[in-house]
Amino acid sequence: MWEIAVELTIDQRWDLVDRIAKETIEVGAYEPTLRDTLADVTVKPLTGIPFAIAVIYGFWMFFSGFAGFFTDGFFVKIFDVHFLPWIQSVFPGKGTWLYFIFVGDPSAETCFESFGVLTSGLFLPIGVVLPAIVAFYLVFAFLEDVGYLPRLAVLVDGVLHKIGLHGYAIIPTILSLGCNVPGVTACRPLESRKQRFMMITLLGVFIPCAAQIGMMEGLIPHLIGWVFLTLAIGYFAVGFILNKVWPGESPEILMDVPPYQKPTWRNIGRKMGTRTSHFLMEAVPFFLLGCLIVAVMYLTGAMDWLGNALAPALTGVFGVPEETVAPLVAGFLRKDLAIGLLGGIELTTWQMFTSVVLLCIYFPCLATFALMLKEEKWKEFLATMLVLVVTVFVFGGLLNLIGIGLGIA
Amino acid sequence: MGQANVGKSAFFNRLTGAKVAESNYPGTTVDFTKGHMLFQGEYVDLIDVPGTFSLQPKDKAEEVAVKMLGEEKEALVICIIDASKVERGLYLALEIIEKGYPVIIALNMWDMAKSVNVKVDTEKLEQILGVPVVPTVATRGEGFKELVSRMGQAAPVTIEEIIRSVGNSSRTHH
Amino acid sequence: MGNRSTFGSVYFAIFGFMVLALGIVELVVVSTGGMEGASWGPLEMGGMLLWWRAIILVFAGLIYLSSVNNFLDVRQLGKSVIASIMIWIVAGMEIWARIAGSIPGGPEEGTPWFNPEFLATYGPPYMPEIYLLPLSLVILYFVGRRKKQGRLS
Repeated sequence: MWEIAVELTIDQRWDLVDRIAKETIEVGAYEPTLRDTLADVTVKPLTGIPFAIAVIYGFWMFFSGFAGFFTDGFFVKIFDVHFLPWIQSVFPGKGTWLYFIFVGDPSAETCFESFGVLTSGLFLPIGVVLPAIVAFYLVFAFLEDVGYLPRLAVLVDGVLHKIGLHGYAIIPTILSLGCNVPGVTACRPLESRKQRFMMITLLGVFIPCAAQIGMMEGLIPHLIGWVFLTLAIGYFAVGFILNKVWPGESPEILMDVPPYQKPTWRNIGRKMGTRTSHFLMEAVPFFLLGCLIVAVMYLTGAMDWLGNALAPALTGVFGVPEETVAPLVAGFLRKDLAIGLLGGIELTTWQMFTSVVLLCIYFPCLATFALMLKEEKWKEFLATMLVLVVTVFVFGGLLNLIGIGLGIA
Repeated sequence: MGQANVGKSAFFNRLTGAKVAESNYPGTTVDFTKGHMLFQGEYVDLIDVPGTFSLQPKDKAEEVAVKMLGEEKEALVICIIDASKVERGLYLALEIIEKGYPVIIALNMWDMAKSVNVKVDTEKLEQILGVPVVPTVATRGEGFKELVSRMGQAAPVTIEEIIRSVGNSSRTHH
Repeated sequence: MGNRSTFGSVYFAIFGFMVLALGIVELVVVSTGGMEGASWGPLEMGGMLLWWRAIILVFAGLIYLSSVNNFLDVRQLGKSVIASIMIWIVAGMEIWARIAGSIPGGPEEGTPWFNPEFLATYGPPYMPEIYLLPLSLVILYFVGRRKKQGRLS
């Protein structure tokens, strides 16, 4: 296929490289700089793990402070105190189906509860998720640019080894915490099919994206730690099992840890801009569509029918009321929307916790689902879906049993 | 083309004004991106590809890069090498040169190499390889004017010439 | 150039002990008092993530103490730098949370958009990390000094 002048063997080529290098490169005496030492101490477990704890703490505090400032500080007020009563009184035809679709429940006092296209459909993406996305990518782009993320990979290498994945796997995982889509594409550098399959499956099932996290932060800030813990246990447990069951190799992945560099603000700003506009252009329509579908299904009675049909599973296995069927439907489009819709349903703390965990794992969002189809072979894709279904039932059932056992379900 | 995490995407963004994600870790780019850049008064296509260690791909992202090179037979290749790890990048550069592509070499992260006290004699490297070699710092845009102005000088060379010139320069050296 | 700095060693030995002690106190508070926390005059400990802060402080203190011997050696200096960064992260985020929490006027109807008395929320009590922050900035002097020496030689 190529025009070949002379073909060297691999050894000959390396030999040539060596000879050229000898002629042109001079490696001077080299005293380690402070930058090198920092690079070193942040990957040594003894100093690196405490540092990582501090970084994650900082990440979370910045994230929740930022999201809290905009969402609780201003957007809730704008939407609930000013916008909602206004649109409830201004929109014509109270009691008609049009009113129900666009404004939702006329007696709702918050935009979490109203379920309308123009109320919940606007408040959830702009008021709750947008600040979370901006905050997440701000910190994320910063850590990425400085070069800290690969060090986190080195630190968790030991743990990930146990489930047949290597340190590099942390990068798709962290990317997925932003959005599962880039996370799944980032699996391509994984060398074996097995690793790629495992990683994509684990990401799609267990990793909530920034939008979902933002929604949780808005809805159940006190439970978030437990949700994360539950998902992490699932991530490792399923990873462990898949590694044993699925045939194939998990070869070692060698990754260069890049040096620290000064962050370039231009790059960080650009990344933030792309992600945010991407969210506004692609997610907001889905929110509106999701609210529309839910409202229409309520109006036509389809939602009640589906709720009744799924009631044995929902109440019997998972111990959550059948009203959660609406968020489940919305979750096929956007999972953050689904979690947001839980806010409008009356649930006990334990039911809320179970529902959030289930919503996180029961289906990857539409975009991720489509990408999985593209990235995986059919067999793998079906296996991913199987893992998903089994996980949902095992997890949901176990959580319900634990809840009953503790007497808090 | 170049290895993982040598700054290919930063290069691409500099040259085309595009907004490909650049990160400080390997494996950010997993697919190719096309863009346009102004070269000698006209717009030409520039393609950003994933990093690869050699032309024998070992994962999906590397496959993309190698396949792209195979498809674009008329291409001029900007081979980007981490200036502090020249040996590794040279291997790939030699492979590409062997295939008969005109190549220009950018020794990127020049500042980093300097700070770890690695000195590369670019003139000599240029003499030996017979292709333009330009030191650059992609994140700050250093060396790009020279790079673009010298892209015209990139021409295919044969591997025998390189082998011969290595021999010559070693002799003159001693 | 000597790798010893009596001032640096002594300063960060004392400071490291302080950090460690406060971290242990936080640990005790969180494991006995729970989330309510405790406060003594201008010092308070509490909040949702006290566990995390306690652990971070304990580690930061230990890392400082391990860096005291041969303090100016670049490997040792690196340790005290990351211990300091850990304190900056915690203190910085506390300051950030206070600022972010002070500006909005409140969620209820009729409250103003911006809190007119926002300055009042910046008063004490503070958490220990806030007090440790200025003391830990001394590390910048050593980093700066190293840089200067590097340029001269």
